[in-house]
Amino acid sequence: MEGMKTGRAALFTTRLQDRAWLSEKAFQIQLDRPSGFRFLPGQSITIVNESVERDYSLACAPDSDRLTLCVRLVLHGLLSPFLAAAPLGTTLTFTGPHGYFLFRQSPRPGVFVATGAGAAPFFSMVSAGVSGFTMLHGARTANELYYGKHLRAASARYVPCLSEGRAPGCFTGRVSDFAREHLAPRAYDFYLCGSREMIRDVTLLADERFPGSLVLTEIFH
Amino acid sequence: MKTNVGSGDRGTTSLLSGERVPKSHARVEACGEVDELASVLGACASALSAERAELQREIQSVQGDLLNIGAWLATSPGSPTRQMLRTISPDRIREMEDAIDRLEAELPPLQSFLLPGGHITAAWAHIARTVCRRAERRVQSLAADAGEAAGESPGGILPYLNRLSTYLFALARYCNKLHGVPEATWRG
Repeated sequence: MEGMKTGRAALFTTRLQDRAWLSEKAFQIQLDRPSGFRFLPGQSITIVNESVERDYSLACAPDSDRLTLCVRLVLHGLLSPFLAAAPLGTTLTFTGPHGYFLFRQSPRPGVFVATGAGAAPFFSMVSAGVSGFTMLHGARTANELYYGKHLRAASARYVPCLSEGRAPGCFTGRVSDFAREHLAPRAYDFYLCGSREMIRDVTLLADERFPGSLVLTEIFH
Repeated sequence: MKTNVGSGDRGTTSLLSGERVPKSHARVEACGEVDELASVLGACASALSAERAELQREIQSVQGDLLNIGAWLATSPGSPTRQMLRTISPDRIREMEDAIDRLEAELPPLQSFLLPGGHITAAWAHIARTVCRRAERRVQSLAADAGEAAGESPGGILPYLNRLSTYLFALARYCNKLHGVPEATWRG
């Protein structure tokens, strides 16, 4: 972390090299890594396409040869349909790295909470060796638990939570429901990445049931 | 960047370093003062005509500094997040001193106390100056409470705010001169 500065982010040019669909609603893209681009696990980049800018967390290790992004397809969105359809080799521009959503050592246990594409920064952290946390992984259905296998392997406790539908070994309900009902009351370091609604619910829950906790957030729509 | 909505409905908020604190917390108060200062400066820049683009850019550069200062103030001492934040460098403070010299070189010597006001841009600059002084007081108080000795002010913030107040006084006078509005002096 030492020496890294944000604020006046540099502009980089890259090329789209690969795309893989993770579900009907999300896909992963890989970009060439521009020389000189460095980031910390948990940080994001901003893709700039004409007048449109969108933030995406990096879903790869900080020393990986390519940069990976997890993109949720937004119907009639301004950028994700373009990224879903752009031919491989398309030139893209981005700024970054951005953000302070970084894992930090702490005497309090870490609780990672992700919904949907919000799993991306946690995958980056895990790729960099972070482990031993509690992971509350939320999705509508089991096939939307992106990076679940890797997150499960690195966590001390992995709880998939499905808000719509049931699956063996999965909690039925929202991640905030699980935290309210099953997380022992004490102070934690919460890392929240996902929908605005999840972040609001878990943050208010932290105030109510887990005083003294740290709450670090990254919002995805 | 997406904004958080609703998690502060019960009067608490998150610092950049993750702590949940009441919105009346001294750190939040200090951030609020700096935010108010940036907003008042925005009003001043907006009131300047398009021909004063260079001055507008200078004010926007100060607003950028204030965003960096706000991030620093929103982070608890000792948090690893602070290692990632921009601070105010000695070079930036020297730039501010140069800007003060540049404006003052255009102005007549001060003979008496001035009554804040005149052209709307000057009036905004005077308001910005007083907000800046209030922000400085809050930051000083925060630094004292947090055990950060004023001499090693957090990230060069105190010297910067001190210079900025002086700059804003000179800016107010300069704005009146630019627009041909005489300075009102106090004849008490």
